[in-house]
Amino acid sequence: MYEYEGEDVFVIDSHLHLWDASEENIVHEGGEQFIQCFYDYHTAFTPEERQWSLEEYRKYGADRMMQDLFGSAAVDMGIFQPTYLTDFYDEGFNTAEQNAELAEEYPERFVLNGTFDPRDGEEGLAYLEELNDKYDLQGVKLYTAEWRGDSKGWRLDSEESFRFLEKCAELGIRNIHPHKGPTIRPLNRDAFDVADVDDAATSFPELNFVVEHVGLPRLDDFCWIAAQEPNVYGGLAVAAPMAVHRPRKFGEIMGELLFWLGEDRLLFGSDYALWNPDWLVDVVMNAELTDEQRDEYGVELDLETKKKIMGENAAELYDIDIEEKKEQFRSDDVTEEFGLGDHYGPSTAPADD
Amino acid sequence: MSMESDTDGGDAPTEAQVYERLDRVTDPELDTSIVELEYVDGIGIDGGAVEVAVTLPTAWCSPAFAWMMATDARDEVEALSVVDRATIELREHMHEDEINRGVNERLPFGEAFPDADGSVAPVRTELDEKARIARQHDATGALLDAGLDGEQIVALTRSDLELDVEAASDGDGDGDGDGGRARVWCRDGGLAVVVDAAPLERYLEKARATGLVDDDHPELFRTPEGEPIDPSRFETVRHRTRLAGVNMSGQGSVCDALHESRHAEDRPPLSTRSD
Repeated sequence: MYEYEGEDVFVIDSHLHLWDASEENIVHEGGEQFIQCFYDYHTAFTPEERQWSLEEYRKYGADRMMQDLFGSAAVDMGIFQPTYLTDFYDEGFNTAEQNAELAEEYPERFVLNGTFDPRDGEEGLAYLEELNDKYDLQGVKLYTAEWRGDSKGWRLDSEESFRFLEKCAELGIRNIHPHKGPTIRPLNRDAFDVADVDDAATSFPELNFVVEHVGLPRLDDFCWIAAQEPNVYGGLAVAAPMAVHRPRKFGEIMGELLFWLGEDRLLFGSDYALWNPDWLVDVVMNAELTDEQRDEYGVELDLETKKKIMGENAAELYDIDIEEKKEQFRSDDVTEEFGLGDHYGPSTAPADD
Repeated sequence: MSMESDTDGGDAPTEAQVYERLDRVTDPELDTSIVELEYVDGIGIDGGAVEVAVTLPTAWCSPAFAWMMATDARDEVEALSVVDRATIELREHMHEDEINRGVNERLPFGEAFPDADGSVAPVRTELDEKARIARQHDATGALLDAGLDGEQIVALTRSDLELDVEAASDGDGDGDGDGGRARVWCRDGGLAVVVDAAPLERYLEKARATGLVDDDHPELFRTPEGEPIDPSRFETVRHRTRLAGVNMSGQGSVCDALHESRHAEDRPPLSTRSD
């Protein structure tokens, strides 16, 4: 568990991938462009001494991922967010099935999200049910800019999409994570437009819409939608690493997010392996607003706020009882493997004698 | 890179004149000058023929944005009376061939990119609207600093602004208040304040581009949706205009970081797999 000035901070990394962009898996030039573009983002927002080589980055595997997440106790739990891209990658880039390799081995540590693509029609609905039967889904990650044959994307507020959202509501899959973020080559910038979240969120008040990457480069549209829709949340993947080289800009963006959404609707995510929580958690925990930013926005980015963003808000959405988890993690497999026993400490409950 | 060689006859522009025109070209997503962003690698002047070399932060910057910058640069430079022809060379971009050919052969976007989903015009309009909103924040901020209140600001019309007031330098030479000045008349009582003209001029430029100067409403400042501002909503509109600026500069930071890492000396090499 991450410790900040003597206090424990339970970290749920809400945006993880276990991807495969090895050259053998690439079947379309878009797959190569996509991973190289990811790599541009990786190097742009990673401290120099922590940068990976492109070869490491293509496919890092389950063991390395476990080491990065838990080896330095940066993360307590994580949520897998699949990204299929099956037109680009033979076996898919980062599918629920690939993510299940770890999620099923350490179910107490991971939440495994599914996905849907309304362009798949009936077959897609069947697949969503199949994923739900297999993994008892609580959430789905959606990628509206994904290419599928001639189609260069789909909209969350389309009739077909609503059929799938209805199915999610029916199956009790409450957390919808649309990727609305920076352009990634070769995908279409406008297919990431956050505008379609508005009507979907209004039409499905029983679902939570966690907008991954807070709509960047449309932060303004995102905040304005979230200000009207109480079931819209912000996933901080991509925004978080700006704290590394652009701390002032990070403060400004956090100021806006806290101003428009408040401290209960923001979720930390590393976007692993885009960035690595083993340094990113520390950077975000040490980020501060300037006095000027505090005055301008009238908000605080203090320890209480950070504890919510780093884990408590995700725990709320995914029914995770943090205290119960701490008990459990005193002796689970991950704690044994990485020697984390001290982090979850001796029982503070009164001895029953 | 200066190839300036032929400026004595008065039939060629100076380098400074060309840069002054290029400075008016913005990265439409960031609303910042391409000169300030250091996208311009260099210019070459040969009599009335000018060449401009441009590199964007990434090889995969939006083709529509690259197109806008390239055509704007061409047109701005050709606006100089001594320039017969401006040629743009976009470098290190995945679509440099299509863009350079299209811009220099003066093709429409749809012909240069037959596979593109749409035309450039709506993209430009959307970004002009965002720039207008962000610029409104600076303009209304300057008026608030000058002592106007929200109610007075939302009632201002174009004719309440006099932009060509003689420069009344504040004398300290720090640039703040040393440029052009504007006089702003408040309707209620013949009060006038004198402020820095630049933020108002910058606002007007985008208000014009988005059709807000000649529409059915006389009010100068608007909600993000383009409507006159109800005085009770002034604060909310201020917050929204602030947000538009933070979004743009935030995206600017992303581009800047990508640009830096792309050009870092020790950047690990990318794969040689062709694409």
